[in-house]
Amino acid sequence: MNIYARLVYRNLRANLDKASLFFELIFPLFFIFVQGFGINGIVPPFELGGRLVTYSEFLAAGAVTLTVINGGTNAGTQLWFDRKNGMFEQILMGPFTRAQYILSIIFATLIIGVVGSLLVFVFAFPVVGASVSFTLQGQLLIAAALFLGTMFFGSFAIALSVALKSSETFQVVSTFAFFIFLFTSSVFFPASSAPTAIQTASLANPLTYTTDIFRAGLFDALTPTVSLELTVLAAEAVVMFIVAVVAFRKIRV
Amino acid sequence: MTQDGTAVRVEQLSKHFSEKVAVDRISFEIDRTEVFGFLGPNGAGKTTTIKMLTTLLPPSSGKVTILGHDLATEGRKIRARIGVVQQQDSFDQGLNVETSMDIYGLIWGVPKPERRRRIEELVDRFGMQEFRKKPTIDLSAGQRRRLQVAREFIHDMDLLFLDEPTVGLDPIVRRGVLDYLKERVKGGLTIFFTTHVLEEAEYLCDRIAVINQGRIVEVDTPENLKRRFGSAKAVEFKLLQGSSPEMTTALTTLEGVSHQVQDESTGAYRLTTSTPESVIPGIYRLAERLNLTVSSIYIAETTLEDAFINLVTDDNQVDTMSGGA
Repeated sequence: MNIYARLVYRNLRANLDKASLFFELIFPLFFIFVQGFGINGIVPPFELGGRLVTYSEFLAAGAVTLTVINGGTNAGTQLWFDRKNGMFEQILMGPFTRAQYILSIIFATLIIGVVGSLLVFVFAFPVVGASVSFTLQGQLLIAAALFLGTMFFGSFAIALSVALKSSETFQVVSTFAFFIFLFTSSVFFPASSAPTAIQTASLANPLTYTTDIFRAGLFDALTPTVSLELTVLAAEAVVMFIVAVVAFRKIRV
Repeated sequence: MTQDGTAVRVEQLSKHFSEKVAVDRISFEIDRTEVFGFLGPNGAGKTTTIKMLTTLLPPSSGKVTILGHDLATEGRKIRARIGVVQQQDSFDQGLNVETSMDIYGLIWGVPKPERRRRIEELVDRFGMQEFRKKPTIDLSAGQRRRLQVAREFIHDMDLLFLDEPTVGLDPIVRRGVLDYLKERVKGGLTIFFTTHVLEEAEYLCDRIAVINQGRIVEVDTPENLKRRFGSAKAVEFKLLQGSSPEMTTALTTLEGVSHQVQDESTGAYRLTTSTPESVIPGIYRLAERLNLTVSSIYIAETTLEDAFINLVTDDNQVDTMSGGA
């Protein structure tokens, strides 16, 4: 078994809090089945990339990308558990490099993010199924959105967990930060219909791009800006990964 | 191992944290299959030294060769051949005892059948049968410590660093762990061992380095340390007649006795001396002259703890007199 596979397997077995994972999956379903249908009655179908979609379809696709952000939180939690329980140093005194360790956390986070998204998508299928277009291009866009989004938020959570001095503070600050990401993105509403300040913030928000690209792929509703959004998201993910690696190297043992 | 049979060679190793010198130009060598004790008071630099030797902390200066590999450039090769039991707890909170050992073996690349075999052996040897299915988060401090030491033996290694491995263990388990370590040394393992329990250092170590304020004060065998730095021995005796004021007075004239004390409840005398072999006949002569009978007499042996305390105290006094290092 490859060294990364071994570390990833260990991260998934040892550091995942199953109860939190369950609620992270349940959380998006509330948006899909409660908020989506609740608001659907007062919001008429609207155009998205040349196609008409209902609000519940729009929100269901956004809610799937919520698992990306939840997966990201898991990366920080994994690192915190290892630091708190002495396994961080124990592993670094084994035949592994720091790079292998941090990448194993990112890979584990990718697995959580992608598998979580797929699970939520399965539940959301009755809502969005009728509008889904399974094209190769669409599937590639979905894969890219989930991969890059999880990479960004996983790296962000790692950098945050290094910067903060206790796991409790990390939980509070990461929850707050992710709420800001959430409400300045296009998960709940199209960014173009938001107040100007939020529209501006959404342009820097990787969750906006993750969600837009995901929707474009899901509904085959390509907009002229999809390639630009993909490029910005990739750049943000790479930059945040570098920040996480630099922060991680500074952890004092 | 190196061709000359040296497992660890440390030359002028130092570690500075800003202005503070944690480890100050220490040098020593450890032979293969040797158990090398590293003793020192709290904050002496033991854990910092271990962290440097296990590649966790970069040294500020000095040269270290471990198992033939240069610490500065071949850290990963070193880590692949060592095991470490840290002073602090280390456990996977989401796993039970057995699974935690299994996954630790997995990340080290130990094949599954071998892991299964070793887990059975270690669970048995470390008395973990009762709690092998218990989540690690629910273990007592002693159980968790036992797991931490046992878990390290799931993978192969040539050199094991043990930083106070028996903290929290009861005497029976502790002895079992020490005996297991001795067995592994016979099988070719080299051990670097720190502890505050000097009896176990004496029981296990071939040589001991005493470190104080970041500097190595002395390196020798436990026997030599006791002989060279142990306190004067004590002669303890009792009289059939119990307490005797005449004897108490007469003992002050006995040559070679630096201090005498009498236990009021038992009447036993304790004389501190560096020459017990000449003091004992003197006691019998005094007793005969005073018409008293010695009912029991023995020499209380010096301990490694005496030697350790004397070494560290003397070093601190030298340091104070010279105005600090």
